[in-house]
Amino acid sequence: MQNLEVISLNLWQILISLANLIIIFIILKKLMYGPVRDVLAKRQAILDGKYREADEAKRSAEESRALWQEKLEGAKDEAERMIKDAASTAERRGDKIIADAKERADGIIRRAESEAELEKKKAAEGVKREIVDVSAALAEKMLEREIRKEDHRALIDSFISEIGDVK
Amino acid sequence: MKVKSRRFMAVDILYILLMVLPMVCGIILQILTKPPTEGIEIAGARIFFTIPMPLQDLPITESQVNSFLVVLTILGFALFITHGISVEGGSRRQIIAEWIVEVTDNMVNTNMGEYFAAFAPFVAGIMALSALSSLMSLLGLYPPTSDMNIVGGWALLVFVLITYYKGKCGPIVYMKSFTEPAALLTPLNVISEIATPVSMAFRHYGNILSGTVISVLLAAGLQGVSNMIFGWLPGFLGEFGWLRIGIPAVLSLYFDIFSGCLQAFIFAMLTMLYISGAFPQDEFERRQRLKLEKQKTIK
Repeated sequence: MQNLEVISLNLWQILISLANLIIIFIILKKLMYGPVRDVLAKRQAILDGKYREADEAKRSAEESRALWQEKLEGAKDEAERMIKDAASTAERRGDKIIADAKERADGIIRRAESEAELEKKKAAEGVKREIVDVSAALAEKMLEREIRKEDHRALIDSFISEIGDVK
Repeated sequence: MKVKSRRFMAVDILYILLMVLPMVCGIILQILTKPPTEGIEIAGARIFFTIPMPLQDLPITESQVNSFLVVLTILGFALFITHGISVEGGSRRQIIAEWIVEVTDNMVNTNMGEYFAAFAPFVAGIMALSALSSLMSLLGLYPPTSDMNIVGGWALLVFVLITYYKGKCGPIVYMKSFTEPAALLTPLNVISEIATPVSMAFRHYGNILSGTVISVLLAAGLQGVSNMIFGWLPGFLGEFGWLRIGIPAVLSLYFDIFSGCLQAFIFAMLTMLYISGAFPQDEFERRQRLKLEKQKTIK
């Protein structure tokens, strides 16, 4: 069997080798890089979709959180306002009750005073009458005769007035 | 892990056979046809038969057959590694396939730029073809890369690509590129243009062939030294090359594995650099812009 020279050039061999390289290129491109890149691109697309979904979910969660925060703040304010309102109402009502009570107490005191005055007057009147009676009796005894009250009324009255009007 | 169907397994086995059988066939062919050699013999690939062709006869040699077997192996590998890949992933071979694609994509992107993204399979093809061809010597087969015609074909294709990308902006720009940086340097530029594929082919072929030559010389030398030292032993024991055990393996580690892979890497690297270097990117982009503007004004 013959051997090729160690250093030899053959046009057809070179062309065949060139064609071999092109065939390898096509094989790798169609059978290996094509499918693998396809898979990688699809996976990337799925990943992108997932990331987008996650971002979306995060954003909406953030939004609702802000909403609830706002609502919570509002509720706190409301509660504070209500408490303040209730306190002021209670205060007002308490004041009113106290004022009412004072008024009524004042009325009672006034009435008691006037009643006492009346009683006093009545008592003075009674005393006056007593005195008149006593003095009449005294005078009767002294004069030994009956004094007609009716006749001497004016006299007695003036007398008593002289003694001192009882107030 | 999903349970693979019987059919899937069968196809897998078919692909593995496609990957392994070419090499086995190569070894069988080698055993059947290679005559026993005596002494120091450094020769090119053996010629199986010759096909008459115009201009020059085409001898079908070992290197032709072996590089065809490499192509078959790579075909089997590509089919096997992408068999049953899915978006969910998970299988080991898919991880490897994605890793290969990503690494070569990155390499092409950093060395050539975005414009040449489609070159990734080409560069990977050069690497696979060159590395596998050189590593064939591990199986005792004739490495096709130590035949100048094989490497010359690849270098020629690279030269065609260089010229194509150099002429992307029309023949005037192509011609002008030879007068850079001064018109005086034109002859040197032409020479260096032609020297590019030649140097690429010679570098690769020379490295692999020199490995073979040194291995043969070393084997013969060791045989001689062994005969000198152990010659006094009776019969077969005296003739056996004791020193040839083990020592050539160290050299083989360098010449067959390291040098083979390194040359494949260098060839791919130079391909990328030459092609991207030949492309007048700024001029091309300027023209694209002008074209776009013109289209806009017409509309």
